[in-house]
Amino acid sequence: MAKVNLSGNEAAAQAALSSGAKLIVGYPGTPSSEVIGSIWGKKYDGVTIEWSTNEKVAFEEAAACAWAGQRSIVTMKMSGLNVAYDAFISVVYSGCTGGMVVYVADDPGVSAGMPEQDIRGFALMSDVPVLEPSSVLESYTFVQYAFELSEAIQGPVIVRTVSNVSQSHALIELPEAHPIEPRKPHFVNDPFKYTKAGAKICMDQHRDLIARLAAAQVKLHKDGMHKLSLGKKGGKGIVTVGVTSAFLDESLELIKAAGADVEGISTLQLAATLPEATEEFAAMLDNCESILVLEENEPHVEKAISLQAFHEGKNVEIIGKLNGPLSRIGNYTAATCATGMAALFGVEFKMDTAAADDAESHCAARPIGVCAGCPHRGVYMGLIDAVKKLGYKKDEVIITGDIGCTILGSCPPFDCLWTEVAMGASIAMAQGFTHAEWPTPVFATIGDSTFIHAGMPPLVNAVQNEVPITVVIMDNGWTSMTGMQVNPNTAEEFQYPGESRTRVDVVDIVKGLGVKQLWVVDPYDLPKMTDTIVEAAKLPGVKVIVSRRECAIQAGRRKIKYGLSVVDQEKCINCKRCINTTGCAAIVSDENGVHINPSQCNGCGICTYVCPVNAIEKKEV
Amino acid sequence: MANYNVYLVGVGGQGILTIADMIMRAAQALDVPANYYPTKGMAQRGGFVKAQLKLGAETVGPDIRPLGADLGIAMELSESLKSIRYIKPGGTLVVYGYKWQPTAVMLGKAPYPTREDVEKAAADAGLKLVFLDPADQPEDTADNIYLLAATMRHSGLGEVVSEEAITEAIKARWPKGAERNMRSFEAGLAVE
Ligand SMILES: Cc1ncc(C[n+]2csc(CCOP(=O)(O)OP(=O)(O)O)c2C)c(N)n1
Ligand code: SF4
Ligand code: SF4
Repeated sequence: MAKVNLSGNEAAAQAALSSGAKLIVGYPGTPSSEVIGSIWGKKYDGVTIEWSTNEKVAFEEAAACAWAGQRSIVTMKMSGLNVAYDAFISVVYSGCTGGMVVYVADDPGVSAGMPEQDIRGFALMSDVPVLEPSSVLESYTFVQYAFELSEAIQGPVIVRTVSNVSQSHALIELPEAHPIEPRKPHFVNDPFKYTKAGAKICMDQHRDLIARLAAAQVKLHKDGMHKLSLGKKGGKGIVTVGVTSAFLDESLELIKAAGADVEGISTLQLAATLPEATEEFAAMLDNCESILVLEENEPHVEKAISLQAFHEGKNVEIIGKLNGPLSRIGNYTAATCATGMAALFGVEFKMDTAAADDAESHCAARPIGVCAGCPHRGVYMGLIDAVKKLGYKKDEVIITGDIGCTILGSCPPFDCLWTEVAMGASIAMAQGFTHAEWPTPVFATIGDSTFIHAGMPPLVNAVQNEVPITVVIMDNGWTSMTGMQVNPNTAEEFQYPGESRTRVDVVDIVKGLGVKQLWVVDPYDLPKMTDTIVEAAKLPGVKVIVSRRECAIQAGRRKIKYGLSVVDQEKCINCKRCINTTGCAAIVSDENGVHINPSQCNGCGICTYVCPVNAIEKKEV
Repeated sequence: MANYNVYLVGVGGQGILTIADMIMRAAQALDVPANYYPTKGMAQRGGFVKAQLKLGAETVGPDIRPLGADLGIAMELSESLKSIRYIKPGGTLVVYGYKWQPTAVMLGKAPYPTREDVEKAAADAGLKLVFLDPADQPEDTADNIYLLAATMRHSGLGEVVSEEAITEAIKARWPKGAERNMRSFEAGLAVE
């Protein structure tokens, strides 16, 4: 059969479909978004595909579907599990009857700018199996297996992927599908299983939860999921998990070249950190005098095997991060693994990259910033102008930021957002600064998707307690930073193609939450934006400004241009204020002076307001 | 087949990932094992973009270790310096010398490397440098396909995936632009 080219996330989506998932839900987040992204807009009989308002909602939907005996998968980035965790811990206590897979993408090495958290910690805290694919192929087979495991133990199973596995594309032979017969929903009213009404219920469920993990341990062992290869008795051993298994061959080659004798080595490639591979660990501890554990981020496997060695009275040296040269920070390559092996074999392993250090020191810094024509630009510039008009200095006025493209106001040339914490935090933090008696008005900025995800509760809080803050909701109609997914506020025509889904307008939400002082402003109209912010800041109570204009990239995909701005070379005095204040990539300065690149400019017109000699004119196109 | 690793760098919007994608499609047609790991950054254009391609091995970790690539392909002058760490001594670096200047550079507030800096860095690292000056590129040709073709000629990539498989992949991907793309490819192959 011809091989197919799939990414890890795409493979997971295909596995979910072929395993009979009835519900595929999630909230976008790099590097997990393509599971749903790759099947979005397509029709599969009897399958619901949905971007939910947030991960907790998505998780709860998936849980109920699995309680009704169906199969479901919920996808998110690691930060999403923090949001869903309240429901997660409760649901795993209950277990499920259908198959439930929680697909979570960690990001060791931080390719997407969030804490480098390791969600295996959550799995340990809740006794849930966590399968860790090491490749695109395993992204398929492990999701498939996770459904079977989940139904076998009657509890949810996590599949933990990482950036380089989920984002890799590989040529794979599509594994055989394991389809199921269509099922009728089945759910019985059983408070002992599905509520937490009382200490006895909770403790009984806790006991059952622990028993489920034990059952998973037996099943993984029986199914040969962990790959154990025992070598010479009394020799050396290496334990890998997830993507580090994929680096094993290459790093062994490296360490052989460095003079290590790797003949007779024992290896254990784990399919899961939890349940602990107790039997396989015992075999390794029996066979080896020293064992290297290769795992990215936190030393969970290392701790487990060390503890087992202690209990079994095995005097085996365990090398890793607690004891050894490996780091809890960053993602691993074959070179990192070889560094660990150098400690295991007692050889020297070094790579000379001095020439590269020198080369990189000459590299130009390339800070990220908003796109040419981005509507957020009008908000940052409006805020900066308004602060000045209100008689404050820029470094006196706190403007909290939130997650998404909206945070790019913390980058040059704007440098105007002070904080980035977690989805929705901008609005709550602004209240905290106000309670701290910060002497100037305090502003919050937040995108439409983030507002609906977690910004509504803090806004209600501000309304109830009459906290005087000004919130700018940067409504660009999409969840853009993660690759332009739809959210409830996205125009109806772009909601699920071919299905009837309803748009929920953020303006209606804000009104419904009891906000009385509300403005809707086009951020391309910079003077209006500035004046509105000034007006709002002077008023008492909660003020909300909805800055409404579509993401420039999404509009650009439909070939929308609002005009074309042109620099009149006769008038231009080459002061470069347009570049300094807008940072728009369409404006270039070279030996011919300042001009605007017509292929990049979308005619937003923002730069026309800043030229001191009115040399920039917006033309119709 | 021997493993062949390619490290690609550029700026978002230039088409560097398309180069990797074409190699991937050629590998698929030829049944060469391949793993392609792009790092796109966020939604915006103009950010650093890299891609790591590992050809010829069934089981591989996605990332190329320092000094682990046989070939580097760079679409932007300054970013080319970020690939040096990953290329083996004796390996090849093909640089398309386009300058995509960050704002601070444009305003004269930050330095930007010269072609000589890149030449020196490649020499210090023991690499064979192939430098394409955009000024020499024929009119109306696609930058990335021009660069890919020059790479086919000047590196060992052609021994892993054939020229024919690459051109077939390009034609299949853009049936409409075939004429211009083939012209771009020919122009790249002609680079001495
Ligand atoms: C809990 C959590 N879930 C998901 C993400 C991933 N994420 C980062 S930015 C973003 C999109 C924000 O969209 P929006 O608020 O509309 O702003 P935009 O990017 O469109 O400007 C998401 C979903 C995250 N960082 N944290
Ligand atoms: S992707 Fe859209 S919202 Fe994000 S910076 Fe670009 S134009 Fe702005
Ligand atoms: S009008 Fe000005 S600010 Fe807007 S995209 Fe064009 S050049 Fe950039």
